[in-house]
Amino acid sequence: MKKRFVSMALVLTLLSSLLVACGANESKGSEDNKGKEAGSASENYDPNSKLDVTWLNILHTASPPTDTMVKKIEEYTNSKITFNWVPDASKEERITTALASGDLADIVTLTMLTNSSVRNSLKSGMFWEVSDYLDDYENLKLIPQAAREAASIEGKLYGVPFLNNLARGGLIFRQDWLENLGIAEPTTLDEVYEIARAFTEDDPDGNGKDDTIGFGDRSDLRYGSFKTLSSYFGTPNGWAVDENGKFTPEFDTQEYMDTLNYSRKLYENGYLAQDFAVTAKSDQEQQFAQGKAGIFTGIIGITGLRTLAEGLNMDFKLLPVNKISNGDGEYHIWSEGSGVNGLMAFPKTVVKTEAQLKRILKFVNDICDEEVSMYMTRGIEGVHYEYDAEGVTHIINKDLYTAEVTPFSSSRPMPTLFPLKSENPEKELTTKLINENDAFAVFDPTVPLDSATNNEQGTELAKIITDATFKYIMGQSDEAEFKKAVETWKKSGGSAIITEYEEAYKLTKK
Amino acid sequence: MKVSNITATNRTIKRERISTNLLSVKRNKLLYLMILPGLLYFIIFKYLPMGGLVIAFQDYQPFQGILGSQWVGFKHFIRLFTEPTFFMLLRNTLILFAMNIIFFFPLPIILALMLNEVRNRYLKNFVQTIIYIPHFMSWVIIVSITYVFLTLDGGVINEMIVSLGGKKISFLTSSEWLRTIYIGQIIWKELGWSTIIYLAAITVVDPQLYEAAEMDGAARLRKTWHVTLPAIRPVIITLLILKIGSTLDLGFEHMYLLLNSLNRDVAEIFDTYIYTAGMKNGQLSYSTTVGMFKGVVGLVLVMASNKLAKKLGEDGVY
Repeated sequence: MKKRFVSMALVLTLLSSLLVACGANESKGSEDNKGKEAGSASENYDPNSKLDVTWLNILHTASPPTDTMVKKIEEYTNSKITFNWVPDASKEERITTALASGDLADIVTLTMLTNSSVRNSLKSGMFWEVSDYLDDYENLKLIPQAAREAASIEGKLYGVPFLNNLARGGLIFRQDWLENLGIAEPTTLDEVYEIARAFTEDDPDGNGKDDTIGFGDRSDLRYGSFKTLSSYFGTPNGWAVDENGKFTPEFDTQEYMDTLNYSRKLYENGYLAQDFAVTAKSDQEQQFAQGKAGIFTGIIGITGLRTLAEGLNMDFKLLPVNKISNGDGEYHIWSEGSGVNGLMAFPKTVVKTEAQLKRILKFVNDICDEEVSMYMTRGIEGVHYEYDAEGVTHIINKDLYTAEVTPFSSSRPMPTLFPLKSENPEKELTTKLINENDAFAVFDPTVPLDSATNNEQGTELAKIITDATFKYIMGQSDEAEFKKAVETWKKSGGSAIITEYEEAYKLTKK
Repeated sequence: MKVSNITATNRTIKRERISTNLLSVKRNKLLYLMILPGLLYFIIFKYLPMGGLVIAFQDYQPFQGILGSQWVGFKHFIRLFTEPTFFMLLRNTLILFAMNIIFFFPLPIILALMLNEVRNRYLKNFVQTIIYIPHFMSWVIIVSITYVFLTLDGGVINEMIVSLGGKKISFLTSSEWLRTIYIGQIIWKELGWSTIIYLAAITVVDPQLYEAAEMDGAARLRKTWHVTLPAIRPVIITLLILKIGSTLDLGFEHMYLLLNSLNRDVAEIFDTYIYTAGMKNGQLSYSTTVGMFKGVVGLVLVMASNKLAKKLGEDGVY
């Protein structure tokens, strides 16, 4: 009897839970329909109405900004903004959970367009398709066609793309160490290798101790040194496609193998940090700022490294370098998302009508204006910065600036629209180098393409290659084993990805 | 005639039993009412959410909801059991579990017995407090400390090995050391805390038994072996069964912190796999499938070990 009661209770609860779930979904579905109908009925929107907008945004700094700048932006755009900041380090979990639970905001900043969860959500029609609206706004219509294509999935643009420079890769060297050792700025990979050796063995800091290494690196093949080095070797960015439309993954090329051998040699001889495979980004920066490592990857971090070093009372000269060839004088550097950093997307569940969407797009357009752009990058004139005679901005109050302004700087959809001169010559130089990169950026041909298998298993499969790459560099496996990993990748779904990309590519060529 | 008689009496006995049951419910209305909050808790927070398991049989898309998503039957189960990852996960999980049982499980018992022999009460309390402290540290801290000790770039242990003329060992980036580190950290963190229950069990052992043993000429070891250990046996068995139930639950946070590209072949367990597949890559249906498999195996193991314990004449958990 007791048992039967228990099982009945179980069945009942399961049933009722199903009913509850169904009920909730039904109401949600019908609401969506209503939203659509209302949207098509009222085409007009009032651009001057006050907008109440929520924004799920990514935070690249340690703490969220104070209200000062928000008020200014609100005033200019005639809106009331509620930010929901997601720290960059936990964006994968947080954004995926937000997408799964439908707990979204009017504007959602999506930066991981290759993440399968984000991709599936975009494809499922969760967000408004905006390509037809962009040209109605004076700033947004400036978004180049190439960027729109790169940000599209199957030809559909599900948000306002975040534009950026095509490629921001490069290396930073300790200029003072180079001078101590009498080495010139490197232009080839062999010279880089020699520098890594000299930085490790020739006591570049002159303290008589064997306490320096060439490359400090981190457990990240993409944003660490590996992908940048592989670009220098001429490895395709992610995928290579030949004139017949045949796709080859980067790790199936000779250039990738060359990079592997290069890194392996660096590691074997101790010119590359021995525990780089378990080093976090912040630790890598610390190593560099503390004068333990002499080469850093990624030139955009230069001001961060400088600030960090100043905090430690370290004084050094830095040399950002972007032009390094494998000896043939040709330069290459991989491009992140073909210059698109992500999307500002507008979920249909929150932005219910077309009129609402248009008002929000107006808001997005307004924050691209020069005035808001200045608010988001420099702050308020006289409070955070001032101009000098040459029209170069100078930060007056660094602490205030860091607390109130910097969190916004990566929230602008079109940062390249109003380029600013910086008072910091290093920063100025890196900006120049990054612009030079445009000329020899290598694009990933799969950015606008879609592969169902990649969406589903791509990230899992990528682990096979990542693990094999680390093992090879650290000398825990040989070439045959790496090749075997590539075969495993193909067998477990890689071949399907190749075919799917080839088919998707054919469609775009027609 | 006789048979029908027996069934009839059976029936009346049954009916009587039901009515006495009902009567006792009626009589103890208030007592039964007191179960209600607990029961509601389990129904609302434990059983209702289980309805969500249906997404394991769908290609669940959050936007389309449970009703709108496509039903795919056992697709995800087939994928789970046919992928090579599955056997790696199962192997890693089982090996770590076995190591946990063999190396960790007996330690708190031994420690508790040793503490029990300490005659100075103050010393005993002092030691107990000290050994409880690591339990309150989070895994992040423990793993970070281990990292500082073991890293190749200036870690204390490796520097010591080098100064003694040895070669650096890549503790953190090799498959060979992962399990040792994992179990070592668990022992460091949980050993003291796990003695609590055993110590409590030991205090209720009847002192007369010790006296009787002494009369028979038993020394300390003998007393421990023949009196204390048998007395706490039910507790040990209960804890063992509970432990077996959580076989596949090795602790996500701990392993996730230790996991990296170079030890993945031994370090990836169900918990970390579910997290990366579900939370990071958004394969909600698939990771639900993995989680469901894990849960079912846990349930089966608890029931089996409980049965076994009862067969061996022990009390079991329920």
